[in-house]
Amino acid sequence: MPFLRYDRTLGVAAMENRGFYYPVDTAIHQNGRIYGLNRSHEGDTRGVRVCILDLESKFYGVFGSIGESDGQFTWAASIAVSNAGKVYVGDEYLERISIFDENGIFESKWGDSGVGPGQLNGPCGLSFDIDSNLYISDHRNNRVQKFTDDGEYILSFGEEGHLDGQFNLPWGLTVATDGDIYVADWRNDRIQRFTPEGDFVRKYGSPGNGDGEFHRPASVAVDTEGYIYVADWGNERVQVLDPDGGFVTKIRGDATISPWAQQFLDANVDESELRSNSNLETAVNIRGDSEHEMSSHIEHLFWAPISVKLDNTGRLYVTDRNRHRIQVYKRN
Amino acid sequence: MRDSDSGADLIGHLMRRAGFGSTRSEIESLSKQGYKETVENLLNHQIDDEIPVDLLRRYHPDQSGMIGLGGITSYWLYRMINSKQPLQEKIALFWHGVFATGYSKLTQGRVLMDQVDMFRKYGMDSLRLILTEISRDPSMILWLDNHNNQKSAINENYGRELLELFSMGVGNYAEQDIKEVARAFTGWTVGNADYMERRAQNDSLWPYGRLNIHFEYHTDKHDFGDKTFLGETGDFSGEDIVDIICKQPATARFIARHMYNFFVADEPPVTQWPYTEPRDPQAIDILTKSYFESNYSIREMLRVLFNSNFFKSRNCWYEKVKSPAELVSGILRLTGEFDKPDPKLQSAAFDMATMGQSLLNPPSVEGWHSGLEWIDTGNLVERINFASEKFSEKERPGIQEMIRGYVTMYGEKASASNLVEGCLDQMGALQVSESTHSALLSHASSITKSSEFDPVKAAAEMLRMVATTPEFQKE
Repeated sequence: MPFLRYDRTLGVAAMENRGFYYPVDTAIHQNGRIYGLNRSHEGDTRGVRVCILDLESKFYGVFGSIGESDGQFTWAASIAVSNAGKVYVGDEYLERISIFDENGIFESKWGDSGVGPGQLNGPCGLSFDIDSNLYISDHRNNRVQKFTDDGEYILSFGEEGHLDGQFNLPWGLTVATDGDIYVADWRNDRIQRFTPEGDFVRKYGSPGNGDGEFHRPASVAVDTEGYIYVADWGNERVQVLDPDGGFVTKIRGDATISPWAQQFLDANVDESELRSNSNLETAVNIRGDSEHEMSSHIEHLFWAPISVKLDNTGRLYVTDRNRHRIQVYKRN
Repeated sequence: MRDSDSGADLIGHLMRRAGFGSTRSEIESLSKQGYKETVENLLNHQIDDEIPVDLLRRYHPDQSGMIGLGGITSYWLYRMINSKQPLQEKIALFWHGVFATGYSKLTQGRVLMDQVDMFRKYGMDSLRLILTEISRDPSMILWLDNHNNQKSAINENYGRELLELFSMGVGNYAEQDIKEVARAFTGWTVGNADYMERRAQNDSLWPYGRLNIHFEYHTDKHDFGDKTFLGETGDFSGEDIVDIICKQPATARFIARHMYNFFVADEPPVTQWPYTEPRDPQAIDILTKSYFESNYSIREMLRVLFNSNFFKSRNCWYEKVKSPAELVSGILRLTGEFDKPDPKLQSAAFDMATMGQSLLNPPSVEGWHSGLEWIDTGNLVERINFASEKFSEKERPGIQEMIRGYVTMYGEKASASNLVEGCLDQMGALQVSESTHSALLSHASSITKSSEFDPVKAAAEMLRMVATTPEFQKE
């Protein structure tokens, strides 16, 4: 029996209101709602927002927009829910953390740009520990910083490099249930693990596309049993390692038509009829043999899987950036 | 033109034509290497372009997902500015101008960038391979409706343009030849053609973003009957037609003239070629000879071109008006503003469009008219304003480097003449006409005579002045 079982797909491409447009991260609230952070792209003032929904695809609204004012984002990069139920969004261009209530009402922001202790240069991964402290992947400073949930600096660890405890543009991170910090050390093609104080524990993986190897991992999640889930972004897949770091499985994506996608197809009969006569499962004669190229052709595959998050039942949420959706998996 | 025979001047000329210009330090380094070796390195496909595609895809989602025009133009512009293998980008730009294919009909970024990637990969290979690849290119198939070309209902669009605009030029084939070419390309289509066409018409990104498009050959739609093309008869396939096209002298001359127009000096628009002699018929003969001797190799033609006297001759220097893509890339290469991913790059890509060249979205299958048509009054103002604005940003690393270079060479108390010469030199070993030189000298004199003379400010001001000269609009 496979370790993971495909469950469902959430979302649909949409530049405004309900849906996703280049989502980059997902957070699951204690209230059961899912917060999908949409980055959009330069040149389009639409798309930037957080979309709130639940597993049954019920839509609860959006908040945020493009800009530099309070509650706005420029390069939205990461989202997390605090132990108190507040929604935190990291912006890796504005170098700040914005805080909202569960309904998306802006409450406050903090963050100074710079390289000194407590200053930020590209906050792009957020995770809270059991004591409500926030770990931030401060990626252009090649370090992880720890703050209180109201932005008071506590400590930092890491520096530029490829040795143990060093980083090369780290991206997503997570605090495991034992308190250890797992960091997707993106350009070093590995996951690193640290104690809560920042002492190096061990590393997982090496560059490549084989089992247990990574190419530009973007995100990591760890379940209560210690299994490690990695968004192996450059290889266009998700991998699972066991608590000892052994390879367990890899998935390439299994998306189906979500409820929101089905509503689009139902309302656009001309496209859906032609679509039903098409073969979207295979592509021949494609230029190049990269997985990235393959993902651009085959719709059910992950294309730039950028974030992996777990809910309290162990469901895995894979934010599928270039396909504007979330693919959900369950443990068998 | 001022008289100077230094190797740096010639290298500067080469890099403006085979690339997008070079900084002074790059020219110094290439001069030590020598002209011929520099040409060889430009022609060498193995040299790493050092483009951090992973970073671009990380920071700019639409340079990865490629839904819109902005993402792909920014991606390509970044490559033009930063590639260590600039001829690869230049040859892609060359073929994009010849095989002009546009977003307006495809509403599909990824498939267009796949075409540019193909130019990057095969653009210096044999014309036979290039014509075969463009004939099976999904964006070209949809652009010219070849997905509707089947034995039961011939569509001549692709066949006509293949002969008229892509290989031979009008006057070298008969109307019947077009029909026969179309028959040979029946069944050359794309996967899920009807769905892809409808998605393009609807500008659809639903439900899950753009879907890339792949080539398919449908034998049941192909006309296997005999065709007579340019006097030859047989059950020709599309590949056979390409073979016949490639061995025509008209094809050799047509491609040679395109290359001359792009790399050496402006020619009139393609539509006038049947009625207008080439500017340099001897150069066309030399390139044509190379074409046949090398089995239609574009790389060999370029090798001959760059090493030829007609290319090195000062008679062709500054005889080409820069296209907006060349102008913008060249300026940003010098200023160093975009040496890493930056959201502001997209506004520079939009500026190119304002100047009359929306990359990957040509006005028609004829592509853009080049030469003086780039600088009609409105466009010229946009071009000068862009250059002036970019060279006003003194904090840019490239401008800082130029100022440092100038001050190092001439010290704190330069003469007006030094100020002019130093800044021309720092901007890529530029040369200007006597009248432009005189005007620059006059302005420099007013700067150097000032009681508040500051060499750094003076250099910055002079760099900006040089960027507004007529010569800077050309290459």
